[in-house]
Amino acid sequence: MSTVAWITTRGLLGRRRFLLLLPLPVLMVAVALIPRLSGASPEEWVQEVIVAMGFTTLLPVVALIVGTGVLGAEIDDGTITHILSKPIPRWRIVVPKLLVAIGVTAATAAVPFYIVGAIASGPRLGLGIVVGSTVGAVIYSTIFVALSLVSRRPVLLGLVYVIVWEGLLSNLVSGTRVLSVQQYALTIADKASASPLLNNNVSLPVAVVMSIVVTVVFLVVAIRKLGSFSVTGETS
Amino acid sequence: MSSPAGVIHDIGYQRYEGERLGRGDVFLALYTQSLRTVFGLGRNFKAKIFPWLIVGVVTIVGIVMMAIRAQTGEVVMKYAELPQFLSTLMVLFVAIAAPELVSRDLHSGVLPLYFSRPLRPADYALAKLAALVTGIVLVWGGGQILIFLGAAFSVKGFGNVMNELADAGLGIIYTALYAVVFASIAILVASLLKRRAVAAAAIVGVFLVTVPIVGVLYTVPSETSHQLAQIVNPATMVGGVGDWLFESANEIEEGGIGPFGPLYALVTLGVIALCVTLMIGRYRKVSQS
Repeated sequence: MSTVAWITTRGLLGRRRFLLLLPLPVLMVAVALIPRLSGASPEEWVQEVIVAMGFTTLLPVVALIVGTGVLGAEIDDGTITHILSKPIPRWRIVVPKLLVAIGVTAATAAVPFYIVGAIASGPRLGLGIVVGSTVGAVIYSTIFVALSLVSRRPVLLGLVYVIVWEGLLSNLVSGTRVLSVQQYALTIADKASASPLLNNNVSLPVAVVMSIVVTVVFLVVAIRKLGSFSVTGETS
Repeated sequence: MSSPAGVIHDIGYQRYEGERLGRGDVFLALYTQSLRTVFGLGRNFKAKIFPWLIVGVVTIVGIVMMAIRAQTGEVVMKYAELPQFLSTLMVLFVAIAAPELVSRDLHSGVLPLYFSRPLRPADYALAKLAALVTGIVLVWGGGQILIFLGAAFSVKGFGNVMNELADAGLGIIYTALYAVVFASIAILVASLLKRRAVAAAAIVGVFLVTVPIVGVLYTVPSETSHQLAQIVNPATMVGGVGDWLFESANEIEEGGIGPFGPLYALVTLGVIALCVTLMIGRYRKVSQS
């Protein structure tokens, strides 16, 4: 484990702010227990819990907090200069930080996703949606890390993207689904679990190819942006 | 060891001899400055982008409704339905404004300066809350006024215009209820977090995560649970109060709130009271540390 990754992990997990990530997963499992205990059939509530709560809310929000935290926090308080002034290639700063973000996001999402999937129909669905959520964690984290280098207000920009694009448009307008991370993750989860409970809106090849394209593009953007990064004072 | 013998020299600065304004004026000044902060007025362009983006969208929706009403005479949406229709935008609006209002002051540690004035902790909290509430009412109430303008020029007769005016007025009061609920939750969450970015994400998390719970409660095979489901989410909770206030009892719809209207109103007031109390308590604690 490189030093950059170690510092990032410590900066992320060592603060009280990290506790903010806990309520969402706990709530998701608790919510899944309500219909389970009251005897509703999984077909009725899986859509709400796994798709609406898991893939539309928990995954992007956790990825947003973590993804903008690994680099954005250091840019905000200016300590990024300490790392930038070391003789390390810029991509070796971005990649370890990104990997930490992906790891933390995927782990935070995987536990409740697996439990809920197992409650709904069994370990197969649980593993399937964990595969989907991990793919989603990779893409979302890359996007948000890149966003924190492109903009000075990455979280607000990310929130607008998550709420308006992923939340409203990709569920209402079918044309935007081809460009929605949530739909890629759902499609991959659907294929991996082979469960009739989930349904996909884009085809598997589209989802896989687009996932790779989006990840690579935003990774390149992040590396190039950090390569030409200049430290400026606090704005606004 | 001699004790430090400091002397304050009078180097001739002009003294302030005028009247010193009291607590009320401090409150008013804080309120107006906070209201300007909500819309990014007096700040650079970057601070204006997000709030005015939302103002723009609400205005466009209002103009479209106005045009439809004026052209075809068709009522697309009642005044009271506008805030719930645009409640996602309201979540974004408070997530943008609330951290700007309170998290900045925490982050830069200027609160002791505020509290060295006649201002009390509760005043600070209430001034910020009032500013955010006013901001929301200005934007969404403005949308309702646009719809009213479309209606006022398309209905025949003075009496009908007065009816429309009464409806629009009620709609704006109802918007104010939305504003108080959303603003008090958002300010409370933001007052606990120093970093604006984290506070914004946390506010959105609080509002969004409760949406699917409403859906889950609808799947539970019990009539009572369906009727109580909407109480879980702030937006649908106020929507339930609206159904109780504005819809007559014989209009019982599928998935409505049933006989629980008063309970919705009570819980809404309870949420407001709880958030405001916690907020004031939070600033009491900050002012003592």
